[in-house]
Amino acid sequence: MYDAPNLGATVEQKDIKISAKKVQVYYGETHAIKDVDIEVQDKTVTAFIGPSGCGKSTFLRCLNRMNDTIDICRVEGDILLDGEDIYDKRVDPVQLRAKVGMVFQKPNPFPKSIYDNVAYGPRIHGLAKNKAELDEIVEKALRRGAIWNEVKDRLDAPGTGLSGGQQQRLCIARAVATEPEVLLMDEPCSALDPIATAQVEELIDELRSRYSVVIVTHSMQQAARVSQKTAFFHLGHLVEYDDTANIFTNPKDERTESYITGRIG
Amino acid sequence: MSAGLVILVVIAIATAGFFIGRSRSLSAVNGNIRQLHSLPGYYGQTVFLAAAVPALLVAFGWLLLQPILVESQITNMIAPSDIAEGSSRGLVMADVRRIATGLDVAIATGALTEDQLGALSADQSDVRALLGSVGVALASEVKESVLVASKTYREMTATLRSAMAIIVILLSLGGAVFSLSRIKPDFRARNVSETAVKALLILSSTVAILTTIGIIASLLFETAHFFRLYPAKDFLFSLTWNPQFTGGSDLGILPLLWGTLYVSFVALVFAVPIGLLVAIYLSEYATRKVRSIVKPAIEILAGIPTIVYGLFALITVGPLLRDYFAQPLGLGTSSSSVMTAGIVMGIMLIPFVSSLSDDVINAVPQAMRDGSYGLGATQSETVKQVILPAALPGIVGAVLLAASRAIGETMIVVMGAGAAAKLDLNPFEAMTTITVKIVSQLTGDTEFASPETLVAFALGLSLFVVTLGLNVLALYIVRKYREQYE
Repeated sequence: MYDAPNLGATVEQKDIKISAKKVQVYYGETHAIKDVDIEVQDKTVTAFIGPSGCGKSTFLRCLNRMNDTIDICRVEGDILLDGEDIYDKRVDPVQLRAKVGMVFQKPNPFPKSIYDNVAYGPRIHGLAKNKAELDEIVEKALRRGAIWNEVKDRLDAPGTGLSGGQQQRLCIARAVATEPEVLLMDEPCSALDPIATAQVEELIDELRSRYSVVIVTHSMQQAARVSQKTAFFHLGHLVEYDDTANIFTNPKDERTESYITGRIG
Repeated sequence: MSAGLVILVVIAIATAGFFIGRSRSLSAVNGNIRQLHSLPGYYGQTVFLAAAVPALLVAFGWLLLQPILVESQITNMIAPSDIAEGSSRGLVMADVRRIATGLDVAIATGALTEDQLGALSADQSDVRALLGSVGVALASEVKESVLVASKTYREMTATLRSAMAIIVILLSLGGAVFSLSRIKPDFRARNVSETAVKALLILSSTVAILTTIGIIASLLFETAHFFRLYPAKDFLFSLTWNPQFTGGSDLGILPLLWGTLYVSFVALVFAVPIGLLVAIYLSEYATRKVRSIVKPAIEILAGIPTIVYGLFALITVGPLLRDYFAQPLGLGTSSSSVMTAGIVMGIMLIPFVSSLSDDVINAVPQAMRDGSYGLGATQSETVKQVILPAALPGIVGAVLLAASRAIGETMIVVMGAGAAAKLDLNPFEAMTTITVKIVSQLTGDTEFASPETLVAFALGLSLFVVTLGLNVLALYIVRKYREQYE
């Protein structure tokens, strides 16, 4: 029924990149995330799975403080990035987001040229001293986004003119161009066809060598294919967090088992 | 029977037809609605439409054509010799109509009977005094031929009126009966009334288009008339505006066009940055509470009549600019100036620009903001580099619409910028605009025959061309870039 989980992949002990303790999130009166503790490892793909409305996207958005832009949202608890509390008053969310990049569910290229889309981050963070350096960064990012060959001849064309799958890879290239340490992906393939999905998944696997990737997905096959660690959320709780192979073959919690076998969801 | 009464009767017939049609459709299927093609109300509607629409169309057409027909008959009854020196056939015909109405009034009030009217002759009795006694004043004594024409006019009108009443009511009844006979269970009444609705919608849109065409046509017609009296080359290229009602005027549009564009330019320089910043603050930075207070407060500005802005320019801004800027800088001593009118007009345009831009900025999808914030951009970087470029077409549209308003503005310019047509660069100098001169050329007791008055139409047409051009440009820009982020 599912693709075989990558049981063979060895999960060696790696540094902890993000560590969350007792995280609570409220939307107004609604208690959306309850007591979540998790440690996300560096250079690893971590998948968040769970039924709709379970809080996985909300939790993901806590990791780069995107929830700050929502007025009624309130976050409690500690989230540490490399041992530093990202909700500390001294932390500038803008700088944090430069370190923790994000790719969204729906491809959202800016209404600019492909080149300017990718150059956007490097420009605002001053990563390039001159045009030649910027060109290099853009090319590198587009190559890493596995879209260079398709767009190299039309970098001046608008990014919105690409197909859905190309747009999403452009958005990934745009995110990696700022050299983040962590890449958050909120259902990056939900708007894509199977071929584009396969391309993006392949890309995620490559990104693992440089970044810590956290991906929210509705597709358990996808979680099994791309991730090394999987976290199962249910009704705002983190039910189970383990190596992907263990979650899919030997879940400890009844709810996890029910979800991956399709009984709840 | 008066025309109003005829129309009421037609509507009564149609309404009765509606109810009869509805019950008839029900009785056709013995009350079982499911066997009908449409709901019973639709059958009623088809009867209503058939009874009302053709009858009313004929009635309106008749009312339009009847005077034309009658006058063409009557005109021939008046000999050229009866037309007084300095008068014209048109004036005599106006007298005929007036006397005819007067006679109607006289009969209605009992001052005259039908028999007396038949025997009435202008040579023997004083028709002018008679009509004066019933409240219809005439300018001169009534000639016999004119009185005869009036009587004929009155009779023809009455005959045609009754004919119209009969024909229209018969038509209405006929329509009702015809459509009642069509009511059967499988008659597609709903489709018929859908077609009628569509026709109504098309008609409404045609009214708007025809009005525009009518306005343009009248402007073009009068402008052509003006150019026959005054050379177009002088109008377009002469650098002086100096109308003399005794003749020999210079009617160059350039000083006025310059004034118009200068005042509008100052207004836009003032309104666009402020309006845009207001819009950015309101849509991106303001909390919901601040927004709910500030936005209506700004929009109050849009509700102030322009004459009040004019007063503000005249008594506050004008003297202020003169005393603190123009005089100390040695730029002029006039409180009416381009600057005064421009600034006040700018204030008037702020809500215009801010409100439209605010809508446009709000229409930029949240995904754009998320994308930018997700890359570590600050709020102002996001606004500058993502939101404004994405909203640009709409903002340009807003600015051009504001420009059209500025160009067409009159009151503020009259009171703020003065009435002197000048070609000058000094913004503290009094100047004037096209709109102001249109008003001043047409106010007062004027006759549309001299180039001095007809020039107003040429000015109006020029203004129309300029604003139309701006609107077309705005539409083009908005359309070209509209789908950018979708």
